[in-house]
Amino acid sequence: MSLTLERIEALAPDQASLGAARKLLKPSSWPTLAEGEGLVWGECQGSGATPYRVVVNEADAGYKCTCPSRKFPCKHTLALMWMRAEKTTAFTPATLPEWVKDWLSRRRGKSTTAIKDEDDEQPKPKPSIRLTEIPEAAEKHDPKAEQRAAAARERNRVEREAAVLAGLDDLDTWLSDQVQHGMATFVAQTAQACRTIAQRLVDAKASGLAGRLDALPTRLFTLPGPARPTAAIRELGQVHLISQAYRRTSELPELLAADAGQAVGWSVTREALLSDSKVLRVDAKWRVFAVLSEAQPDRLRRVETWLWRENDGDNEPQCAVLIDFIPIATGAATGGYLVGDQIEAELAFYRSTVPLRAQITTLKRGAEQNSEPLALPRERLSVSYAKYEHALAQLPWLGTFPLSFRWASVRRNGEQLYICDNESQLSLPLHSSQTNHALPLASIDRIDGIGLWNAYEFTLAWAETPLGRWLRS
Amino acid sequence: MNSNTLHAKVLPALLGGTSRHPLPGELIHSSNRSSDCSLEMLSLAGQALRFERLSPPGSFIVEPEIKDDRKIVAEHLRRPLIRLLTAKNATEHPARAVARAFDRLRLRPHPFDLPLIDTFVRSNAEKLGPTAQHWADRQKADAGTQSYFDPELVDESNWTQATLSRRAAYLEQRRRDDADSARTLVEATWAQEEAEARFRLLQAFQTGLTMADQPFLAAQDKDRAPRVRALAARFLSRIGAGTENPALAACLERIKQSQGGLLRKRNALQLELPANVKDQTASRWILQSFAEVSFVELAGAFKITETELIEAAGKDQPLLLALALIATNERRFDLLELLVANLPNAWEGLLEGGFDTVGAMTESERHRWQEIIVHPYRKDLPTTWFLWDWLHRITDTEASASVMSMLLNARLLMKVPEQERGSPHWLAMMAAICPASQRKELRDQLAEFDQAQTVIPVALLDILDGMENNRTHD
Repeated sequence: MSLTLERIEALAPDQASLGAARKLLKPSSWPTLAEGEGLVWGECQGSGATPYRVVVNEADAGYKCTCPSRKFPCKHTLALMWMRAEKTTAFTPATLPEWVKDWLSRRRGKSTTAIKDEDDEQPKPKPSIRLTEIPEAAEKHDPKAEQRAAAARERNRVEREAAVLAGLDDLDTWLSDQVQHGMATFVAQTAQACRTIAQRLVDAKASGLAGRLDALPTRLFTLPGPARPTAAIRELGQVHLISQAYRRTSELPELLAADAGQAVGWSVTREALLSDSKVLRVDAKWRVFAVLSEAQPDRLRRVETWLWRENDGDNEPQCAVLIDFIPIATGAATGGYLVGDQIEAELAFYRSTVPLRAQITTLKRGAEQNSEPLALPRERLSVSYAKYEHALAQLPWLGTFPLSFRWASVRRNGEQLYICDNESQLSLPLHSSQTNHALPLASIDRIDGIGLWNAYEFTLAWAETPLGRWLRS
Repeated sequence: MNSNTLHAKVLPALLGGTSRHPLPGELIHSSNRSSDCSLEMLSLAGQALRFERLSPPGSFIVEPEIKDDRKIVAEHLRRPLIRLLTAKNATEHPARAVARAFDRLRLRPHPFDLPLIDTFVRSNAEKLGPTAQHWADRQKADAGTQSYFDPELVDESNWTQATLSRRAAYLEQRRRDDADSARTLVEATWAQEEAEARFRLLQAFQTGLTMADQPFLAAQDKDRAPRVRALAARFLSRIGAGTENPALAACLERIKQSQGGLLRKRNALQLELPANVKDQTASRWILQSFAEVSFVELAGAFKITETELIEAAGKDQPLLLALALIATNERRFDLLELLVANLPNAWEGLLEGGFDTVGAMTESERHRWQEIIVHPYRKDLPTTWFLWDWLHRITDTEASASVMSMLLNARLLMKVPEQERGSPHWLAMMAAICPASQRKELRDQLAEFDQAQTVIPVALLDILDGMENNRTHD
C-alpha cells in the first residue's frame, strides 16, 4: 500500500493542519528523512531545541510524533506522509532506529513489519524510555500480590454486580412510571426524563444502558413527530428486555448472555478479547464499505468502520465493524481507513449471537484502495431484510445491521427517498441526511449495493450503478 | 397477542398511559406476581413493532427523463473539481472558468457530484447541461413544467420551452442570421410571454434593427409592462419612426454646444454635470442618464455624423464616458476605439459608474471590447484588484490572447501592492482568465510564489488542461 493525498486528506483533522503541514514540505525542515521495512520516519526541526521525531507506517497509516500537539495526526505527521505521497523528496534507506522500534513494539495490533521484526531478531531487552520511567514494571511477579489483586478484582466485580442490579431495579421503577404516564407524555419530556435515569445508571455502573438512554432523545428527534411515540415503545421495550435478560443470564445461551452483559455495560477489553481463544476469528480479505462517525455526549467521537468479507466462507460473518472512540478535541473525524480500502487481516469477533463487532488481531496486508466492485451476493433487498429479521429474532436488541442488495432502485415520495426492491413491496426510507446526496440515484433504474439499517432508516453506503460507483459522503 | 390486539388494545394503553387506559392484563401472565405486566407488555409490544414491515408509500414521483448528450467529465477530474469548487477560500473566478470549460467542451459534471457542488451548479446551471439545469431547478415551483435542452439543440420547434436566457441567446443569433424570420418567430408566441420574457426578447431586436421592425415595435405601445413600452419606444426612435426619446431630451439639456477653431470652424460639445452631482458620483450619473440614448439619436440631434460627434466631444471626459457607454451598449467597437484614444481610463469610468453588463455580446465581441478598454494601459497596467475582478465578472470570458500577453509580459502578479502580492484571489483570478495557449507561461510565473499560495490556481489550470484533454482524446 502507498500513502495517497486522498488518504492524507481523510486523516487530517482540519484544513488548518493541512495548511500548516504544507509549510513543512521543504526538505530543509527535515534533518532526517529515512525509510525501511514499510516505515518512513524523520526528524523535523520545530521551535524547540530537539527535533520532533515522526514515524509513519505505510501499511496502515499508523503514526507517532513526539510533538505536544493535541491534533492527531499533527502537522509533522501529515507533512511526512505528504512528502512520501508526492515522492518528490528522497528518503534514505536505513535500518530502524531504536525509537522507531520502540514505537513499533508498543503499537496496537501487529503489522507484517512487526511480525517480521519479532521473527528475525533474537529476543533481547530493548531500551525503552517508558521502562526507565517505571522500573517496577520489570520486577519479578509476586504470587501473593497477584492473589491479592485477583481477590480485589473479584470483590470489585461482586460490588459492581450488586450496584448494577440495584440500578436495574430503579430502571424498572422508572420504566413503570413512563408506561403509566404514556409514551406521548414521555416523548414530550424525553430529554429530562432520560438524563435523570441515565445518570442513575452511570452511578450503578450500567454504562451500556445509560448510554442507550442518553442517546434516546436524539434518536427520537431525528424521526418524524408522529413516529416518535411508537419508536419510544420500541426503544424502552428493548431497554426492559436487556434488563430482564441480564437478570437471567444463567438461563440464557452463552452468546446471548454475553450480549446482555455487553448491552448493560460490561465491556470486554481488547486484551481480553485477543487472549480469549474461544472467540470467533476470521482470516480474510476485507473491504471497507462504510465509515460512520458520530459525536457522542461524552465528548468522544464514535467511528464505525464497516467491513465486507471478500473471501468465501459460508459460516463466517459476511460483515464486521471496527469501532473506535476518538476524543472530539482532536478534530479527527475518521479512523485510519477509507471507504474502498482493502485489507487482509484476521479479525476477532466479540462474543455475540449476531457477531458483527470485531478487532483486528493480525494485519497481514495494509490498506490499499481497490476499485473493483464489491462481490455482493445475488440477493434482492427482500432476502437481505429477511436475514435481518432472522438476526433480530436471535438478538432482540440488535442495532445497526448491514443489508446488501441487487436489483433495487431509489425512489422518491415528496422529499423522502426510499430504497425499493424492484420486485417485492419492500421499501425502506433512506436516512434523512442522504436526501440530497442520494437524489441523483432516483433517475437510475437499477442499483446494487449495501447499506446499514437501524430499524428506522437505511443509510445507503455503497452502490454500483450504470453511471459508476456511488459512495456515501 | 396478535397484530390486531396489539394495535387495538395494547398500543393505545402504552401511548396514552396505563393509568388512564389499563392494559388488557389477561393477555399476558407475569412470572412475578407483584408485577402488573406493564413492562412485559412494553417489551413484547416493542418487539412486535420491530418485526412489522413498513408499508410503502402509495406512490412514487416519476423522475423526468432528461436528454443530455454531453459527455460526463473524466473520472480522474471529479475529486479535484469537487475540491476546487468547494474550497473554503475560493473566489468565484475559478468557478466561472470551470463553468465556461464545461460549456465550451460540451462536458457535464457527474450526476453524483451535483449535490456536492450544489452552489456551483445553481450559479452556473445553464453552462453545465440539461441534467445540471434540472438539478438546479428542482426546488422551483414551476420546475415540473420546464424542459431542458442543450443550447446546441434549441431550434424553432422547441425554443419556447428552453430557459429564458437560452431563448434570448437563440433569438439574438437568429436576428444576426435573419432578422425578419426572427421577428416572425417572436410574434407567433408574443401574446403568451410574461413581462420579463417580453423585455429580454425585445432586447434582442437591437441586433439587425431596421424599419421592417417598425410595425411590431409600434404595437408594443400598448404593452402592459412600462419597461417593454420604453424599450420599444427607444428602438422606434433609433430607426426614426417614433416620438422623441425623453431620455435624449434630458441629455441634450446637459450638453453645451459651441464652435471653435481658427482655420476651420469645428463643433465642440461639453457635458455639464448638474450642480448637485459630486465628482465621485459623476460617472454613475452619466451612465444612468445616457443608458437609454443611442448614437444615432445623439448625432442626429446635433445634425452631425457619429464620428463627428466623437470629434466634437474633444477631450471632454464626462461626454466621452457617456459616448463610451453608448458605444458599448450598441457594440460599436469602431466608435469605442476612437473614444478611448481620448479617454484612456474608460475602464475605470465604466466601473465607477456601475456598468454591470455587456449584454448579449458574443465571445469574440467580449474579447474585442476587453482589448479596446485595456490596451490604453499597456505601459502601465493597473494593479487594482477591483478593476480586474470587475472585468472578468462582466465579460465572463477568458482574457483575449493579447490582453493576457500584456499581463504576462508586464509580470503583473509581481507588481501588485505588496500586501496583496501572492494572495489567493489574485492568483486564482489570473488562472481563471488565462487562455489555454498561455497557461505554460502563467505556470512559470506562479512557480515563483510559495507553493501554499498557488494551490487553487495550479489546481484550476490542471483541471482545465484535463478537461480539454478529456474532450480532445474522446
